[in-house]
Amino acid sequence: MLQASNLSKFYGHTVALHPLNLTVQRGEIYCLLGANGAGKTTTINLFLNFIQPTDGSALVAGIDVVARPEESKAKLAYIPENLMLYPNLSGLENVDYFSALARQRYSRDELTAFLTQAGLQEEAHDKRISTYSKGMRQKVGIAIALAKKAEALLLDEPTSGLDPKASNEFSELLKKMSQRGVATLMATHDLFRAKETGTHLGIMKEGRLVEQLTTDQINHTDLEKLYLKHMN
Amino acid sequence: MIRAILRKELTENVREGRFRVVILTLLLVTVVSVLVSKRYYESVNEQHERARANARQEWVGQGQKNPHSAAHYGTYAFKPKYPLSLIDNGVDKYAGVSIFLEAHKRSDAQYMAAQDQTALSRFGDLTPDFILMFLIPLVIILLGFNAFTRERESGTLRLLKSQGVPVGRLLLGKWVALYLPIAIVTLVLFALAAILLSGIRDYGVFGVGAWLLLLMVFLVYYAVFTNLTLLVSAVSPRSSLSFVALLGLWVLSCLAMPKASSAMADSLFPYPTQLEFEEQIARDKRSGLNGHDPWNAAAKKLEEETLARHNVQTVAELPFNWDGYFMQQGEEHEAEIYFKHYQSLKETYQNQTRVYKTLAVLSPFLPTRFLSMAICRTDYHAHWDFADAAEKYRLMLVGKMNGDMVENSKTGEWDYLADEKLWAAVPDFDYQPLSQRTVLALQQGNLLTLLGWWLVSAMAVYVAVKKMSIF
Repeated sequence: MLQASNLSKFYGHTVALHPLNLTVQRGEIYCLLGANGAGKTTTINLFLNFIQPTDGSALVAGIDVVARPEESKAKLAYIPENLMLYPNLSGLENVDYFSALARQRYSRDELTAFLTQAGLQEEAHDKRISTYSKGMRQKVGIAIALAKKAEALLLDEPTSGLDPKASNEFSELLKKMSQRGVATLMATHDLFRAKETGTHLGIMKEGRLVEQLTTDQINHTDLEKLYLKHMN
Repeated sequence: MIRAILRKELTENVREGRFRVVILTLLLVTVVSVLVSKRYYESVNEQHERARANARQEWVGQGQKNPHSAAHYGTYAFKPKYPLSLIDNGVDKYAGVSIFLEAHKRSDAQYMAAQDQTALSRFGDLTPDFILMFLIPLVIILLGFNAFTRERESGTLRLLKSQGVPVGRLLLGKWVALYLPIAIVTLVLFALAAILLSGIRDYGVFGVGAWLLLLMVFLVYYAVFTNLTLLVSAVSPRSSLSFVALLGLWVLSCLAMPKASSAMADSLFPYPTQLEFEEQIARDKRSGLNGHDPWNAAAKKLEEETLARHNVQTVAELPFNWDGYFMQQGEEHEAEIYFKHYQSLKETYQNQTRVYKTLAVLSPFLPTRFLSMAICRTDYHAHWDFADAAEKYRLMLVGKMNGDMVENSKTGEWDYLADEKLWAAVPDFDYQPLSQRTVLALQQGNLLTLLGWWLVSAMAVYVAVKKMSIF
């Protein structure tokens, strides 16, 4: 579903991303681990076509993101680290608006259903976003992804700053979506969460993917050792 | 999708205090300005009617008199107020409202409204044209400077872009959301003006065409400012920067450029001072024919030629009143001198107009300013047209007086008197303002420049939004 082949990004002589080859299949949750500046966000931005690759290509459901940006984006949903929505609109209005931008029209009941599915309590639906906590905003982000019927999910440290309960709820939502066949690529610092939620792990260092493995190959202690080995 | 964008933008705006305060204030100021302008218009119109009736009455009722004395007694031509001057008073305030018409002398328009006003009026009046020309562009900037920067700063632009929204639609949605409230305020102003004008008795020649054209000009003007505002917002990294840049743009195009261009026009094609102008005319008059001086060279020559043509020895033998004929010849000669000098003034004016038209490429304010005044018949061209009509009427009136003397009295018969019958036979001065077609033909350049501004700014904002970075 998500495929990077020899995808690379240079800023002058600085290398942000060495040629990267990576595939995320339907129903997989691929967690990218690594320090800040390792190239995780660069990879996600390349899949979103927010930045232009220096070389190689990024495909979403077989569609090249540079050549056909609007079609590839129609398959994608994106939740950044700090999901910002329109503060003067309610949660429901935000989902409605972003769905409209993705050419989807929903009734009020359908929009309510998406928000409920994303775990947002009903009494918050019509309150303005300015009164929401970060966890609630991330749930609206999930609702937007659900409403979009996205086939691939790009997450950039979505659980950082969430309390353990909210973080756990978020992971459960991701699992539910992957059961429906959504391919997820998630950048994260949270090894524990990655091991619990992910199906695949990749460790990045200085713009290079240095290690790839599946989560059932390794236990949590060994994962931490492996990660630290690469970082040092 | 455009509807969804528009609805979201408007909902956001309405829920935000800034938008409500700005739009309500603007509406209030607009309504007040039109009402104030209407009162002024009515009182001026009433004075005009009264003065005009008075002048006519005095002319017709001047009693028995030698016709040439009647021509010296003179009368007045009053400039009618064009109905749309309710919206744009143009240069009327500085141009004078009446011209004294008498034999031998072309006078300038007198009694400018500005003469009667206090120093306070130098700071500008709360008139509809002030709101239309200056205030509304500022309001557009105030409402739209952060249209894109806000989304970039808060991070919603990332999510927006990730939804794969086509830039054209995003732009159009935001454009309409910014333009719609402005268009509504403009329509309110114009509708109010139309209702008030049609409520005034004898409101004169007021074509729907002129009203519509004026409305269109302003709507295009605001479309240009909407384009420019969104353009700057799309390319600015921060809202604060966008605001400062747009304020700078406003100052430049609405205040600095008009001042600079009028200074430039003046220095390239300066008008003579009043004194120089009168000196030049006086000099030409001295060397030429003067209807009250039979002894100068030009008069002697005319006398000899006339006597030769009629084959007589003395002026008394001529079959008509030589004094009247001689004065009329003098009048016509002087009229030519006036014509020549006023024509050169007019040329200077036209040269200056050309400078403005060229510089209009640099500021959307300039073509709009000139179009607005021209459509409201309150620009200098309209004033010139009135002054020319008044001069034509003066020559007709004096010619009729001298002609009566020539035909109905003998040379030297200075005690010949004419009466009311002759005075009433002179038709009343009836000025018809420039036709719509004439105005359109004259303003073609400005119209094209304004449309050019619209087209270029629309393309620029489209390209800018397309290339807009999310960072």
